[in-house]
Amino acid sequence: MMALAQKTAGRRQAPGGPGKPPPRTTRSAGPSRGQGLVAHVFLLPWMIGMVAVTAGPLVASAVLAFTDYDLLSAPQFIGLDNFVRMAGDERFWAAVRVTLVYVLVSVPLQLGFALFLAVVLDKGLRGLSLYRSAFYLPSLLGGSVAIAILWRQIFGENGLVNHVLGWFGLELGSWLQDPSLALSTLVVLNVWTFGSPMVIFLAGLRQIPEELYEASMIDGAGRLRRFWSITIPLLTPIIFLNLILQMISAFQAFTQAHVVSGGSGGPLDSTLFYTLYIYQRGFVNFDMGYASAMAWVLLLVIAAATAANFLVSRRWVYYGDE
Amino acid sequence: MADLTRRSFLTWTGVGALSLAAMTLAGCGPSGSGGRDGSVRFAWWGGADRQRAYLEGLDAFTAANPDIKVAPEFGDYDAYQERMTTQMAARDVPDVFWIPSPAVLTYRDAGLYRDLEGIDGLDLSAFGADQIESFRLGGELNTLPKSVFSPVVRYNATFLEEDGVTLPEQLSWDGLAELLVDYTKENGSGRVGTTYGPYHDMPFESFLRQRGEDLWTEDGRLGASVDGVAAWIDWWEKLRLAGATTTVSQQDGIEPSWAQVGDKVLLTFANSNHIVDDAQAFPDYTFDQRDVPAAEDAAAGYHFTYYSRFAMYSGVPDDRVESAAALMSFNLNSPELLGLVGLSAGAPPNASLLDAYEPDASPDEQKVITVTREIAGTEQRPRYEAPAGSGSWRDLMIRELEEVTLGQKSVPDAAAAFVEAVEGEIAGA
Repeated sequence: MMALAQKTAGRRQAPGGPGKPPPRTTRSAGPSRGQGLVAHVFLLPWMIGMVAVTAGPLVASAVLAFTDYDLLSAPQFIGLDNFVRMAGDERFWAAVRVTLVYVLVSVPLQLGFALFLAVVLDKGLRGLSLYRSAFYLPSLLGGSVAIAILWRQIFGENGLVNHVLGWFGLELGSWLQDPSLALSTLVVLNVWTFGSPMVIFLAGLRQIPEELYEASMIDGAGRLRRFWSITIPLLTPIIFLNLILQMISAFQAFTQAHVVSGGSGGPLDSTLFYTLYIYQRGFVNFDMGYASAMAWVLLLVIAAATAANFLVSRRWVYYGDE
Repeated sequence: MADLTRRSFLTWTGVGALSLAAMTLAGCGPSGSGGRDGSVRFAWWGGADRQRAYLEGLDAFTAANPDIKVAPEFGDYDAYQERMTTQMAARDVPDVFWIPSPAVLTYRDAGLYRDLEGIDGLDLSAFGADQIESFRLGGELNTLPKSVFSPVVRYNATFLEEDGVTLPEQLSWDGLAELLVDYTKENGSGRVGTTYGPYHDMPFESFLRQRGEDLWTEDGRLGASVDGVAAWIDWWEKLRLAGATTTVSQQDGIEPSWAQVGDKVLLTFANSNHIVDDAQAFPDYTFDQRDVPAAEDAAAGYHFTYYSRFAMYSGVPDDRVESAAALMSFNLNSPELLGLVGLSAGAPPNASLLDAYEPDASPDEQKVITVTREIAGTEQRPRYEAPAGSGSWRDLMIRELEEVTLGQKSVPDAAAAFVEAVEGEIAGA
């Protein structure tokens, strides 16, 4: 990030020298019309896919959100009834509660763990690429059905976790059947998929100039001081990026909860993620109008949370050129 | 093209994509059924073994009917239902398809079934008039049973012998409960009486019918009363609290995982066909099965044979109806297909087919045949299918059972909440 800031600064100064505005670019200096055409042709498959496969269903779901639609007969316009219904739907609020807890607990834990390992791996270990690949693997597998099934085994009554706890005299039942513990297993599963943010953190750490550390060491800064006063501030743009990515991903978590709870969100709705409840309403209860309305509420909540993060980021994210 | 601007590019891309989407949607109209090459689309569910067996069966069908092509569409039970839901919405339903039990009337109300009366290629000659009458839904012959099964008590015969226990000839609910509690206390191997099983739908239905209630009524409502549901949950709660069932934790949820607890219990409630696959999970033990317990004052005709149905899609073009009917007939009457798929999905409703298969049946399949014949010979009052909107009733039952087992609700409260929730879902459908 620091390098990026330096690059940006350099670009500002290069043509006219310090303090002078850069020369205005003209259309003739841009890509030729032929190059533009080629770019457009390359964009074409994505554009068609975007409109037909993403934008189309998005618009359709926006319309369906205001209807009573059971998939089998024509949708009936019901105005805001689906949204009003949410207010009195206990399971809706249970799903909101579970999802918020999951986002607020699992994302910071995941980012903290990813940052810790990235810092450790940044110390120039031998076989770094091997570690990096090994640690990244859970990110590739974490959202899969296979891992969710594995989780059922690990946290079952006779699973690995209870086996280990048994060495210390602790005897617990199945974590997945205990409403007070079930969600924590999914939090652990999400934390375990730390590879993706870790790789991004690692790339960010590599961008921090070594001379800053050297200078601070000359000034007598200890390891912890260097971490808090140099590493963290210069890494804040990366932390922010990871926070946004992982927060959105956590809001949309589905597969793990579906497999681990057998699709029920139980016990006692303790793993009823918002997306799982959308799925239940849409595909089990054939209540697609309500499910569409819920999906739009989720979209707006994610947009609001992202916007709020961007607003707050002005207070704590340091881009180096400010 | 040289005049292409960003605006015109975006405009034409949008127009092209929307045209593409419109053409796709147009292709999903009611007449969109059938394989693209004119083949008959056949959809069914199950595990890998069943998939393999049916694919072999379909090969045999096409070998015998070279002018008919079949396009198989297979899925796991849950995935199958999801796919059917989206296929229904798109009116792109397979020509011949199995019907999940909670969806029989939902699919009917959606107009998915073709009337099967008068289709020349549909061979129902193996069935008597009374039998065909029993296949009808609301008087219409629009589905047929692909297999039949009934609720049973499946017991570990090895455990019975090892522990010196005998199941009495006449088994009442109270008598069974007492036996299971005693067994749990007295066997020296740490075995328990049964799995915690109020989730099982068919024994629940049998329990209700013995009380003179139905799970579903003829006019599409929940037939179970709050008292009936409470009595059922209460029977299980007494067992659970006495330690005569596996715990919810042991069995990995309200719905017991057979793999987790199959070697820990004396008996379990099941469907009569389940023994074929479940016994294979524990090859060291011998399993057997028998009719469910009966209350001394059980209502007449409480026994029932469940029809697992399949149907022909109403959108099958006329020129493909006979081919689809031939495939349905093959499913109903083919000894070759039965030889390949066996009885893991239930016994065939065609009695002569079952007779012919019997000599080749495995020991566990023989037990399916025995119970099937025994129950087929009993007096049975009509049974009604689950109405539209009731598809989530098992989930609702699970939730209430979780409340009870975790001490959050009393049995009467849970029963009342269950009935209210199911009635609400049906009313909202």
